[in-house]
Amino acid sequence: MIGIVSYAVYLPSYRISREVVATAWGGRAQAGQKVVMRYDEDPITMAAYAAWQTLASLPDDRRATGALYFASTSMPYWERLNGSVVAALCDLRASTFVADFGGSLRAGTSALWAAADRLSANPDAAELAIVVAADAREAEPGSAEELSFSDAAGAIALGSRDLIAELLSRATRYDDFFESARRDRDEFVSTYEGKFSTERGYLRSLRAVIQQVLEQSGVTAGDVAKLVVPAFEKRSYLLLAEKLGFAANRVQNVTWDNLGNTGCAAPLLLLSAALEEVKPGELVLCAGYGNGADAFLFRVTDRIADFRPRVGLSLQRKNEIHYKTYTLYRKAREYRHSHKDGLELTNIFYNKEEAQITRLHGTECQHCGTRHFPMVRVCAKCEQSDNLLEVALQRTGTVFTFAVDHLAASPFPPTVMAAVDLDGGGRIYCEVVDSEPEAVQIGMPVELVARRLREGGGLYHYYWKCRPRRDA
Amino acid sequence: MSKPLNEQVAVLGVGCTKFGDNVDQNLSDMMVDAAQAACNDAGVTMDELQAAWLGTFSPGFNGGKASITLADALRFRQRPITRVENYCATGTDAFRNAAAAIGAGLYEMVLVLGAEKLKDRAVRGLQREGIHPLIEAGSTAPGMFAMAANRYMHTYGLDRSTLAKVAVKNHANGVLSEKAHLRMQITEEQALAAPMIAYPFGLFDCCPTTDGAAAAILCRADIAQKRGKDLILLRGSGLAVSSGKPYLDPTCEYLGFPSTRQAADQAYKTAGITDPVKQIDFAEVHDCFTWTEITNYEDLGFCNKGEGGKFIAEGRSTLQGDLPVNPSGGLKSFGHPVGATGVRMIYELTTQLRGQAGARQVKDAEVGLAHNLGGPGAVACVIILGREA
Repeated sequence: MIGIVSYAVYLPSYRISREVVATAWGGRAQAGQKVVMRYDEDPITMAAYAAWQTLASLPDDRRATGALYFASTSMPYWERLNGSVVAALCDLRASTFVADFGGSLRAGTSALWAAADRLSANPDAAELAIVVAADAREAEPGSAEELSFSDAAGAIALGSRDLIAELLSRATRYDDFFESARRDRDEFVSTYEGKFSTERGYLRSLRAVIQQVLEQSGVTAGDVAKLVVPAFEKRSYLLLAEKLGFAANRVQNVTWDNLGNTGCAAPLLLLSAALEEVKPGELVLCAGYGNGADAFLFRVTDRIADFRPRVGLSLQRKNEIHYKTYTLYRKAREYRHSHKDGLELTNIFYNKEEAQITRLHGTECQHCGTRHFPMVRVCAKCEQSDNLLEVALQRTGTVFTFAVDHLAASPFPPTVMAAVDLDGGGRIYCEVVDSEPEAVQIGMPVELVARRLREGGGLYHYYWKCRPRRDA
Repeated sequence: MSKPLNEQVAVLGVGCTKFGDNVDQNLSDMMVDAAQAACNDAGVTMDELQAAWLGTFSPGFNGGKASITLADALRFRQRPITRVENYCATGTDAFRNAAAAIGAGLYEMVLVLGAEKLKDRAVRGLQREGIHPLIEAGSTAPGMFAMAANRYMHTYGLDRSTLAKVAVKNHANGVLSEKAHLRMQITEEQALAAPMIAYPFGLFDCCPTTDGAAAAILCRADIAQKRGKDLILLRGSGLAVSSGKPYLDPTCEYLGFPSTRQAADQAYKTAGITDPVKQIDFAEVHDCFTWTEITNYEDLGFCNKGEGGKFIAEGRSTLQGDLPVNPSGGLKSFGHPVGATGVRMIYELTTQLRGQAGARQVKDAEVGLAHNLGGPGAVACVIILGREA
């Protein structure tokens, strides 16, 4: 039997109300808000957080990973394996199978399908297959899409032992029908919304795969505790549920007003949300849609009671930071496309540095136990040089001291820089993000987050920042 | 066992340009002015100088990374020149090396020249060089010292109004200093209301970036004695280097600067100083930020750790206090052209010891201390000069 071992989500901390967006363009206010990434985030950084959290929620001895599938329709790189950046940020070993899945809004469930194939082919393997989907789709400023698109990531770790939910059945179909598209030369997504798109596309494909998995498993809609489907607007997913005979209270709320349309991340993100609420024995049906549909039926096991995501969705819904004006939001969005600071790093430099800057490895002195970041040859404490070992450093710590710096170059000054003493040892120097500057204090517990730090030479340069620990 | 270097080297002459936004001068212009002023003061010609030490941090336009900057500016040719760069302690370290060469008997008379042209750069503040592009990204000079100040203030409970007292004192002294960059009186209220640069440092907690050059002629003590001038002797010197990356060093406590303590210890031993407050008449210390001066009091042994705030609050470091600190106005008011600053401190010490400091003259100045600090405690240099009766 294969199934779900762990799950996680990532919601950026920043929000903008739809009213602020709509009225900036002279439109009618809409309810709710968008979830938006900071200017230093992208699908790789969001995916890295969610993928890492699927591991961080498991004990050390159950984290061995054999594959990582990264799904996104808004990959930072057209050429360079995006998933390899995510895998390296998660410090996965070189023998891990890594692949990018894109192209469709069901890329997340397509990746889940591929992971299930891998595990089905070798159901005795102890290693996990992490599926992570992240999207930060660009909508044309002033468009209807701009009001609904949100940025987020969801991740599911599949495995063959210690399952919290067993995979009972799955179904897929493709359909060369579209209600959204973005060509190689387009900056923004084009959509064809309306009744026809909903009926011909969304309802037809999803009904087919959902009915198929129910039939394959010999269950009915009434047996399913949670129906998890993405939504591209407020109502059609409820209409779908109704047509299939699912009671409204069995449908996972997509929380349209607070979350909006999170692209290909939506099915995995909503599945994670559903798993936070289900009980042993319950059936969960999760489907993805886009140029066809995928559906998966899971049965929750007794182990669900013992599993707790380290930073669940509810924790990430707190600590919201709001862009007060559309201009500030737009500035953050544009900065990502316009900012190139000219830092050119060669692959020779990166090759030497990857272990520390991407994998967060340091050295540990075997004489006195002191840990160092970056990796050093001579211990700062006992000054021995003969026995320092490379170790993976912990990604949580506390602020030892900090500065709120108005002089440092930033699109949104001031920059808060901190010396962070990592749990287990090692001191790192990094920016404090996702917090009001006034809230930063000595002794504050923080977690490290990978961010897009600089850009130049045709590359994004990822590095670590920190933010207040969401689970503290 | 290192050989003590004292009573063998004399400061024969000093020179200093006006510090400030010297928009009409380039690096060479200021170097020529300072060197010629020092030669005139010493009563020697450039030809008599056997070697030179140049202190520059970031020579930029019209300067180079090597010693040619001095050779070309002064036409100081076919003689040894060494360029020294040791963060903001560059000037005093150039002086220290020149003195060591005389002490070692290599030369009889040499030039020390510190110069910096910072105000023709596009960047604000000091450009950080030689740092890791990712691991140390985001660091600025105010930010690095602010991290130290915040940890100190968290531990000892100092407040911003105490920091402001340092700015008020040094600006008051600077008004009396003709060559100072920012010659204006300020109030504590002004300092506290100024725009924030890097918390806890507002604008008046930070020294300016400045153009300027300073020079000193050093010679063997017996030669200076024969010339019959005021005999200003090197009594002690010390230099200590620690991590330039305290934010990556898990052993760094951030409660002041051990390198200052170590450099002072070396200098005090040579000079026979056991009670600095009694034996030192005045000091020029590195007040790149107001808090730095407060921790300097402690690290130089003027008071105990954690009592630097009390030292300034009680007025002990004012011109009228029992240990005047920064009678020149310090980096805060006199300005901070990095490579020039340490040599400028030697200029101030010599001027005070000769009794030529005019309105800012410290009473009965016989022993003066210069303290130069680079990075957040990375490099500290202490020089002690005394006047022979």
